[in-house]
Amino acid sequence: MTIMDINVGTVHPSTHGVLRLLVDVDGDTIKKVEPHIGFLHRGVEKLMETRMYMQNQSYTEKLDYVAPLCWDDLYVSAVEQALGIAVKERAQYLRVILLEFQRVASHLLWLGTFANDNGQFFTMYMWAFRERAKILKLMQDVSGGRMFYLNLRLGGFKSNIPEDFRRRAYELTDYLEEKILGYPDLLDENPVFMERTKGVGILTQSSAIGHGVSGPVLRASGVEEDTRKTSPYYVYGKMKFVVPTGFHGDAFDRYRVRYEEMLQSIRVIRQALDGMPETGDLLGLPIKLIGPVAKPDTVIVQRELPRGEGLIYMIPDKQKPYRISLRSPAFINLAALPEMAEGQKFADLFPILGSLDIILGELDR
Amino acid sequence: MKTLKERKSAGYDYLKKITAVDYATHLEVVYIIYNTTTHAQEVVKAKLPAERPSIDTAIGVYRAADWYEREMSEMFGIRIKGRAAKRLLLEEWNGVGAPLKKDFTWGKEDYDKVL
Repeated sequence: MTIMDINVGTVHPSTHGVLRLLVDVDGDTIKKVEPHIGFLHRGVEKLMETRMYMQNQSYTEKLDYVAPLCWDDLYVSAVEQALGIAVKERAQYLRVILLEFQRVASHLLWLGTFANDNGQFFTMYMWAFRERAKILKLMQDVSGGRMFYLNLRLGGFKSNIPEDFRRRAYELTDYLEEKILGYPDLLDENPVFMERTKGVGILTQSSAIGHGVSGPVLRASGVEEDTRKTSPYYVYGKMKFVVPTGFHGDAFDRYRVRYEEMLQSIRVIRQALDGMPETGDLLGLPIKLIGPVAKPDTVIVQRELPRGEGLIYMIPDKQKPYRISLRSPAFINLAALPEMAEGQKFADLFPILGSLDIILGELDR
Repeated sequence: MKTLKERKSAGYDYLKKITAVDYATHLEVVYIIYNTTTHAQEVVKAKLPAERPSIDTAIGVYRAADWYEREMSEMFGIRIKGRAAKRLLLEEWNGVGAPLKKDFTWGKEDYDKVL
């Protein structure tokens, strides 16, 4: 028996960003995995201490470039809480709609690349990107930006929405539902995809809680934990949706959980569109370089991001945060990779890594 | 650490985050813990002196503490007692001290030291 070291990375197609894995293998079996991170570390937390509140918005957006609006919302909510600003009712509905569209777009990008890695070459990828492009087009018409929106302001939004937004959003949900319901034909009945993901990278319920993983990874291990349900924000308390959970905690369950989440998101979007008032003020406070004075309390805000639970712990100061600490869900999900991968075959490392859906920009901060 | 053990036996089985705050006169370590059955959240704080700060490891209580402690120790220069020293997590190639402390400064000439 000889142990061999294999260096994976720093660039691999199945990672978003730069990640290096040092893998010890015995023949084809993984003995040990050591993730080396920090290649994209740019000291965001320190940078944010030196900028005014609303200047920081662009930093939080760039953390997770697949779902920028979700991080933007998390940060803006933390500032809103620090300043005691209430979000306008119509803006709450619109935020829920856009956040859920963003979640679907993020899961679609993940699904396309994950299927591409695991035996469903390119068809799934092209389909997922076709649907994602339609979502991004709608988001672009609302905010002006295709990838980075920066349209949240304290208490509301930067600008009003287009007049035909509601009609287009309804049409888009119908389109998405129709298309997404067709995906299992390509995946759940694909023997290669099933073989590569079923029973691979199992994380039991107790070790998932112990490792502190969150989001779809935690739910796939059978823990029904979703911030939108447990501590509802905006109008999520009024929405009817279920939190999908898995049973085995393997890569296939993580795919199923994300897949069901997309359908649930569409359900939430429809309810929010029904409930959103036709007219009403959407606009938030304009950006001023000298921001408003915050009350010096501790602020803890958590939001359900597509990758798991994001949390901001902030000590506000007068015009900028004194200390801001970001909980990145991808960071702690990757910390559980060694346990999932040990004892598996080397080729299974990529389904496992892919099923965690990490974004290195957010992970390294 | 004793408090954390007590809270864990009281049902707080999930560690959400470990972080620290530098108040110049002292440091504060913050543990955010969570109960997955009752969905209750708690914050446990520990005060450390500014000079040679150190704290016991929480790995024995929460496995999730591993990477959080490494990150905190690297960013604030806090020594974690009771666990083996490991390589730096985020600044593996060019550690620069304790960047998130308030007295940390970084100028143009400092780049030459690490690059």
